[in-house]
Amino acid sequence: MNTANQPAAGDAVLPQALETSGVGLACQLPADSSSDGRIWIPAGASLRIRIANPAHRARLLAAIFDMEPDPGLRLVLLGTEVNALSKHERIALRARVAFLVATGGLLSSLNAWENIILPLGCHHPERLRGIAAEVHALVVELGEAPEMLLGKLPEEMTLLEKKITGFVRILLEAPDLVLVENFAPGLDSAERMRIPYFAATYLARHPGGTFVQLEDVLGG
Amino acid sequence: MSRVGGGASAVKLRLGLHSYRPFEGGTAMIGAYRELEGCMQLLGYVLRRLTVLKLPPMAAQLTRQIYFTGASAMAGIVTRSAFIGTLIIVYVIEVLEADAALAVKILLWVVLREMGPLLAAFLVLQRSGTAVATSLALMQITGEITSLRQMRVDPRDYLVVPRVVGIALSTAALTIYVQLIAVGGGMLLSALVVNATIDDLADSFFLLASPMDIVYSVVKSLLFGVSIAIISCYHGLHPHGTSTNAIPRAAIRAVTQSTVVVMLLNVVFAYLVFGVVLLGLVTAEL
Repeated sequence: MNTANQPAAGDAVLPQALETSGVGLACQLPADSSSDGRIWIPAGASLRIRIANPAHRARLLAAIFDMEPDPGLRLVLLGTEVNALSKHERIALRARVAFLVATGGLLSSLNAWENIILPLGCHHPERLRGIAAEVHALVVELGEAPEMLLGKLPEEMTLLEKKITGFVRILLEAPDLVLVENFAPGLDSAERMRIPYFAATYLARHPGGTFVQLEDVLGG
Repeated sequence: MSRVGGGASAVKLRLGLHSYRPFEGGTAMIGAYRELEGCMQLLGYVLRRLTVLKLPPMAAQLTRQIYFTGASAMAGIVTRSAFIGTLIIVYVIEVLEADAALAVKILLWVVLREMGPLLAAFLVLQRSGTAVATSLALMQITGEITSLRQMRVDPRDYLVVPRVVGIALSTAALTIYVQLIAVGGGMLLSALVVNATIDDLADSFFLLASPMDIVYSVVKSLLFGVSIAIISCYHGLHPHGTSTNAIPRAAIRAVTQSTVVVMLLNVVFAYLVFGVVLLGLVTAEL
């Protein structure tokens, strides 16, 4: 598996006897001509990996996010071997992982504010009171003006604004592992300069969290 | 000897047999059964999960649905309902040369029991059924349903439960509205164009109307609303394919099947409640 910008996991390989402690994400995908298929990311890392094969990428994401286990794929998530978990344990583990798709994953009928508070309103409605100040602070931290962004529908937003909206939504749930899909493609050079703020904002709020940029193309 | 090229497959092609599928009817029946089963499962899920409406995002969706299906549809049915009531009274008095009592009786049978719920149901189907099926199919195709799953929000909780409840309540409210406008407006307008006073018509109405008529039509319209919403949501969540063609196809299937189910429910309901079919006219005592 091609990896890039790996400050902590440069030489890491997936051990034969799978070591689970201190692992953010580890798995063994089928090898292909460009990689041996191994991914091993320690907990607390912030790095970028590239999975060029779309089928492998889809399989990894399905194994992480689908409720049904993939018996053909050995996956360790946040120090736990996923296939050994019961359905309830998988659901609980799944709550600690967040995924930001390239387009932000927003609902087109809701404005930015409604998109941001949607999961919080479903999972922790008691936290909605007073959440506005926190959302405003996060939007400012990520370089946007809340009064400009929060009333916009997704169709009125730039790609970066969509990513920021989706990312603020993720930050409010404080997951232990954040996977970000194809962050840089589609952004101009000035917007790309703001990418490091995303990881920094997440890690400042959640020290010890794992931040992974998942890419399928070269660049960024 | 020259051979006709292609062998058996070429012969089949020339005869048009290549498209023959021996079990096509069976496949369609299995498909219909699966859709019915899917709709029933979705209905069961909605009934089990009504409590999610307490959550703020679902409550907001419910409010939005009631506004769209109920409130914003009301203005459009005022004139239609009033003209239907007027037409029935004028037709009975002028064409059939009957008295005001019979005109009101038929108005009650037709509008209160049958036309009110049916008119409201078809209005809801025309506006909200198509909107629900297309919007959910579009969300499925564009990945918004997947986004909801990634947020650990069950799409059925967020998209289906509020829509079913909202559409059912709105259909019942629209039915009552149609009945009020059709009966009241019909009697008012009829008094202007035929030889019957508003007092005669009103007296006959209060003499003949019973609360059972209202209860019957409200319960029936709730069932119509639930059926339309469940079928529309089901087809929206299960579009056939991922191309944009799947979106209108989902709407067409939702409308077609909802129409059949509404008509079927109407007949079954009439039979169960009054013991007769054909609008209750079979046993009418004139």
